[in-house]
Amino acid sequence: MKTNIKVELNSRNEKRIVFTIKGINVALANAIRRVILSEIPTMAVDEVVIFENDSVLHDEILAHRIALVPLRTDINTLYSLKNLKELSEQEVVLTLDIEAVESGTIVYSSDLKSTDPIVRPVYDNIPIVKLEKGQKLLLEAYARYGLGKDHAKWQAACVSAYKYKPIIDIDEEKCLACGECAKVCPKSIIKVNDVAHVEEEISCTLCKLCEKACPVGAIRVHWDDTTFIFKVETNGSIPVEHLPTLAVHILRIRLLDLKNSIISTVKQLEEEESA
Amino acid sequence: MIIPIRCFTCGAVIADKWEEYIRRVSQGEDPGKVLDDLGITRYCCRRMFLTHVELIDEILRYERTSTESRYL
Repeated sequence: MKTNIKVELNSRNEKRIVFTIKGINVALANAIRRVILSEIPTMAVDEVVIFENDSVLHDEILAHRIALVPLRTDINTLYSLKNLKELSEQEVVLTLDIEAVESGTIVYSSDLKSTDPIVRPVYDNIPIVKLEKGQKLLLEAYARYGLGKDHAKWQAACVSAYKYKPIIDIDEEKCLACGECAKVCPKSIIKVNDVAHVEEEISCTLCKLCEKACPVGAIRVHWDDTTFIFKVETNGSIPVEHLPTLAVHILRIRLLDLKNSIISTVKQLEEEESA
Repeated sequence: MIIPIRCFTCGAVIADKWEEYIRRVSQGEDPGKVLDDLGITRYCCRRMFLTHVELIDEILRYERTSTESRYL
């Protein structure tokens, strides 16, 4: 059997990538999307021990804010992962010790001092709380691995979405170049010169407004259901280009788990039958 | 009270951009253009900025100023 999967990068910046996967089906595309969103393990503060808190925020709110600060996660650990259980024992301690010397001192995420050189806040300028002169804050935060499906603080991606690759066919012989389609297109991707043509077909949202607007029925909007355009955005804990590959890696681990449990169940049944 | 760390809907980090946003808006820039500049494109994240009221400075004035006063 031949597989013919092709991946193409459409655009990329430090937080977001758009890429196309050709030759897969909805089941696989959706599995990748869901794993990116909720099953890639990341580090986040899971427990906070507060020794002193003079601030106007209650301990719980303070702990909640600290937990939501994204921490850089070591991708090498994730790539070399063979079993998700390996991560459950890892822990990194972050400490916060501040006494405000002047009124209106802002405590930033950069004030969280980590014991690990890799695991530390991704952004240094997230305000955690504001202190009045003389107020103290002393706490210890324990960061652990977790999954986005358990709490949003462990989510590696804030956007993970796909759509079918749109195809817009324009019958040039029928087209009157009246411009009705260009007028209604919410993405303004149809341009009309002598005849209507499409620029940046990839931006099409498949709304079919142009199809309805055309007086002579020259436009047909459809899609390729084996080609998917993915859009993925990270919150910084894992570099965005690693999210799809890590998702496939994690999916593989999960499938191997499934395979092993099926094998052991079958073995158990066979033993019972022979006994 | 204080700017939420993340967008309530999508989970994108927004708090790191708050100070620049409020500084530029208070200097008279158009909030929408500042958000475009900061790369905040989705309307879930944009409303976090547009509708936020920073109250912590008001609350700070009524707070205790040292640990000792708690036990007095």
